[in-house]
Amino acid sequence: MKKELIELRVNGRLHELAVEPNAVLLDVLRQELQLTGSKRACDDSSCGACTVLLDGVAMMSCTMLAISCEGQEITTIEGVSEHGSLAAIQKAYGDWGGAQCGFCTPGFIMTVKSLLAENPDPSEADVRAALSSNLCRCTGYNQMYDAIRSAIKAEREGSAVTK
Amino acid sequence: MSLPPFKVLRPRSIDEAVGYLEKHVANIRVLAGGTDLIPSMRQRLFSPEYVLDLSGVAAMRGVRPQSDGGVEIGSLTTLRVIENSGFLRQHYPVLAEAAATVASPVLRNMGTIGGNICLDTRCLWYNQSLTWRKGCGFCIKKDGDLCHVAPGGTKCWAAFSGDTPPALLCLNTEIEIAGPSGVRRIPLQDFYTGLGDSYRKLQANELVTRVFLPASSADYRGVYRKLRVRGSIDYPLAGVAVVMRHSSNGHSIGHIADVRIGITAVNPAPLLVKGATDLLAGKEMNDLLAEAAGDLAAKTAKPLTTSALTPEYRSEMIRVFTKRAVLAAAGMN
Repeated sequence: MKKELIELRVNGRLHELAVEPNAVLLDVLRQELQLTGSKRACDDSSCGACTVLLDGVAMMSCTMLAISCEGQEITTIEGVSEHGSLAAIQKAYGDWGGAQCGFCTPGFIMTVKSLLAENPDPSEADVRAALSSNLCRCTGYNQMYDAIRSAIKAEREGSAVTK
Repeated sequence: MSLPPFKVLRPRSIDEAVGYLEKHVANIRVLAGGTDLIPSMRQRLFSPEYVLDLSGVAAMRGVRPQSDGGVEIGSLTTLRVIENSGFLRQHYPVLAEAAATVASPVLRNMGTIGGNICLDTRCLWYNQSLTWRKGCGFCIKKDGDLCHVAPGGTKCWAAFSGDTPPALLCLNTEIEIAGPSGVRRIPLQDFYTGLGDSYRKLQANELVTRVFLPASSADYRGVYRKLRVRGSIDYPLAGVAVVMRHSSNGHSIGHIADVRIGITAVNPAPLLVKGATDLLAGKEMNDLLAEAAGDLAAKTAKPLTTSALTPEYRSEMIRVFTKRAVLAAAGMN
């Protein structure tokens, strides 16, 4: 299949890439850009392990064509840390046991980033509704909920997250 | 599973999109949010030569209230935008509520109202990989000539599984379809055929471009109830939408002036329940009347074994949800 030349802006860097028209964004991120934080799991658009942000909005990178993403700002889990240190939400996931096996964690964190960008002070129902986009087979949702609450508190107080 | 090979066309306008459809009419599929088409292409339910990516057609997005009180919605408007639209939540609450139940929040960031209207019908024997379908035997809907759901039958019973169409039917929605010979506007009710395989009246060179909710349907109370296996992500296995308006009666809620009930996921098309208005209009809501509405809706539902739950259960849940929904719309629970 003839490849097409496209430009993708990922985590603030512009990449010029030759991609096959049927390549999904997830495969381009993982195989062309070696950004392997976003995961392929269910392969049928239900688990959310591949979630990334497009212009700040959470979407499933396994269910979109890479060439449709030209001109949009793509953020992956690799672009979440701030100045080389963990973002509040990443640190809170560690502190509160929000990650068990860790496979679904990048997708969950992107979903939560999208929620907090839209609504910096979500209610319990808002957080739980947002988490319903992603599946965790270790059943760690309650720890994630605690981690998110803690990260929101830490962001508000501008202090380090402590348990 | 990888996607089959195809070329991608990226129009910037509706005219350009229709031009591409006309040129490649024999072998093209339309990509809006991608949440229906891309998984289906993985399963080789579609292997088109061309994919028409509409994401660059800005004119097809947006909720635009009209001066007469109605509203026009671009077909590429995401379900998330519809769910969060203050105008729709206030004036057409049944649509906002139904949109908010589709799949998951992340999938609603992607999926569009046009895509939900055009959603392919679903069946246990159809939404499977090529290997699975080859192993179990192809069916009428794709590559075969028999039906596993109704053995011996020649009709396809795949269930229409969109959440917003029953709400849109209750709101007397019209849709605009653009094609090579111009645009036409039809009632949504006339869009569906009632067949599982060729389920919609849309030619391969046509595109659903706009959705119109009339002013006459504004400000009805609305309720949508959905049956699914998990609380999120899943398609409906039965769904009921109700819109209701009461005659004003001083301070208290009056008699039902008008009501419509729509059901989904239990037939090859979303359907309005015939006779619902005659049954309920002019009366005051009570449990017996709600039971009767439930019985009527359950008679309209004709589910077969197309999904993980049994037809008997889905039919019963149409009855239960209809009862609860009409009571809720009347402010009684």
